[in-house]
Amino acid sequence: MLPEPPRNGEYLVAAYVVATLILVGYWMRLWQKARRVFAAD
Amino acid sequence: MNASNAALEPARRLVRRGLTLSLLGLVGLAGVYVLALGFTPIEARQGLAQKIFYLHVPAAWSALLAFSLVGLASILYLWLRDPRLDRFAAASANAGVAFSAVMLTTGPIWAKPIWGTWWTWDARLTLTLFLFLLFVGYLALRAAVHDPSERARFSAVVGILGMLLVPFIHLSVYLFRTLHPQPIVLKPSAPSLPPEMLRTLLISFTVFTVLYLGFVMTRYGLMLAEELQEEARDAA
Repeated sequence: MLPEPPRNGEYLVAAYVVATLILVGYWMRLWQKARRVFAAD
Repeated sequence: MNASNAALEPARRLVRRGLTLSLLGLVGLAGVYVLALGFTPIEARQGLAQKIFYLHVPAAWSALLAFSLVGLASILYLWLRDPRLDRFAAASANAGVAFSAVMLTTGPIWAKPIWGTWWTWDARLTLTLFLFLLFVGYLALRAAVHDPSERARFSAVVGILGMLLVPFIHLSVYLFRTLHPQPIVLKPSAPSLPPEMLRTLLISFTVFTVLYLGFVMTRYGLMLAEELQEEARDAA
């Protein structure tokens, strides 16, 4: 019988949350900058 | 005085398309999460932490792609002196730094349960950190130099030096003794992954490439708009 895989789901959650925050945060920065740049127009 | 609406229209269109494309990429990223968590088997030895790989590897791919293209655009800029190449290089470096941040944070989070340590100063990790810091420096240099042609020339040289690190990073697992796993997809022989895992990884590669294209388009359009506005201000 195969051994149980290690229980380390908290690291998976942490990595997915961090990656999401970085990429969504980057997109929001671009969006806010776009609003600022074109609002000056 | 501001640049006229008509003059800014191409930049505005580029930014709108870039934001839409990258938003689609973010939706795709949510799809990758569902696929990775719900429809991809759990690796027996590493457990759920192995699924970090579906973000970490594509983020590394996008970062290395971005920095390689910075170098290529920089070489072409020094040859042709076309400001579009400089703008592209800057946009690509910016996106590359964001992807490197994902790579450098998800890597240690995976390493802790698998290696028992967050970080080790081996060749692959150290070179990757240097590459990230080099491109942070590249962006700082661009912010510090105000003359456009000087800025483009100086940053092109840094961009080319950064690109030269990329093959060393890819080959570092062969050249040095390292804890980092060997390539499993980008290698001379066929990818060594079960089909379901390979499918999720390839979809994630596609999503990250879409995100890269969207980010670069948006950043390029924003730089173009700012340059046009500055020219209009100078002309006034």
